[in-house]
Amino acid sequence: MNPEPFLQLDRVIHEKGRLAIMSMLAASPELSFTELRDALTMTDGNLTTHIRALQQQGYLSVTKSYRNNRPLTTCSLTPAGRKAFAEYINLLEQIVRQNKGK
Amino acid sequence: MESNWAVEHLQTIRTLMERSAVYRRALAPIMLFAGFTGVFAAAIGLALHLDSPRAFGGFWLGTALVAVAGALLIARRQALRDHESFWSPPTRRVTQALLPPLTAGMCLGFVFVFVELANVVVLTFIWLLFYGCALHAAGFFMPRGVKLFGWIYIGLACGSLFFLGMVRPEVELNAHWLMGFFFGVLHLAYGAYLYLTEKGKNAA
Repeated sequence: MNPEPFLQLDRVIHEKGRLAIMSMLAASPELSFTELRDALTMTDGNLTTHIRALQQQGYLSVTKSYRNNRPLTTCSLTPAGRKAFAEYINLLEQIVRQNKGK
Repeated sequence: MESNWAVEHLQTIRTLMERSAVYRRALAPIMLFAGFTGVFAAAIGLALHLDSPRAFGGFWLGTALVAVAGALLIARRQALRDHESFWSPPTRRVTQALLPPLTAGMCLGFVFVFVELANVVVLTFIWLLFYGCALHAAGFFMPRGVKLFGWIYIGLACGSLFFLGMVRPEVELNAHWLMGFFFGVLHLAYGAYLYLTEKGKNAA
């Protein structure tokens, strides 16, 4: 197997929790912190850590607002995040194709 | 190196994306179309005095088919415009959620129409109840307000059945007026609300 595509995989996205967050946000314009936490059954702390990592990488933007006088945190992918996610998927597909061709 | 992980990763990503995708397409125009159809049909029903159970049931089942066909066309048009697939996973899930209550309501309608089991006012509230259940079920895959809209129908149907059955059974209502209000005016109001709020969001 050619290890090249595997080595190109984005390490930040490749982590299980962060990949799940990116996948959910890739299919939705935005999701609230609570929606993400509940859908992925993560703890608040765990989710916050992953969100921060993705934010530092410029893949995710966080918006804080109020709904019905209650704080609302929503997350969405940045254009850079969408691009990185698409590249990650392409590489995975490339790995699958390589192995099918064997 | 074992390569199955890549396939599994892609499968997991796909599942997560499908779970996260919410059906947001064309809700305001669909609601407005359903509202106009409801009001227009009520006016026709009143004008033509379609008051026998068979005439009433057949006429409103036909109207429902027109409303569903119109809604599908609007959704398809928007999908084509946005270069998206019409029969997407969210569309499938919404359809699957809507089908059981709507089918049950339609079958019950047919039975009522042909066996003449109950009067048309009761039939109206039973349809209302099933429609509310359908909206509530679909609301799990749609914007939050749809579930609330479903609850409004369920509450109105239960409240009206209770009121007319137990409190004031002597009150006589015209079923076309009821259908026009519940399936026409309520849809128009919700459609207008969606239209204005979405417009506001876009402006912001």
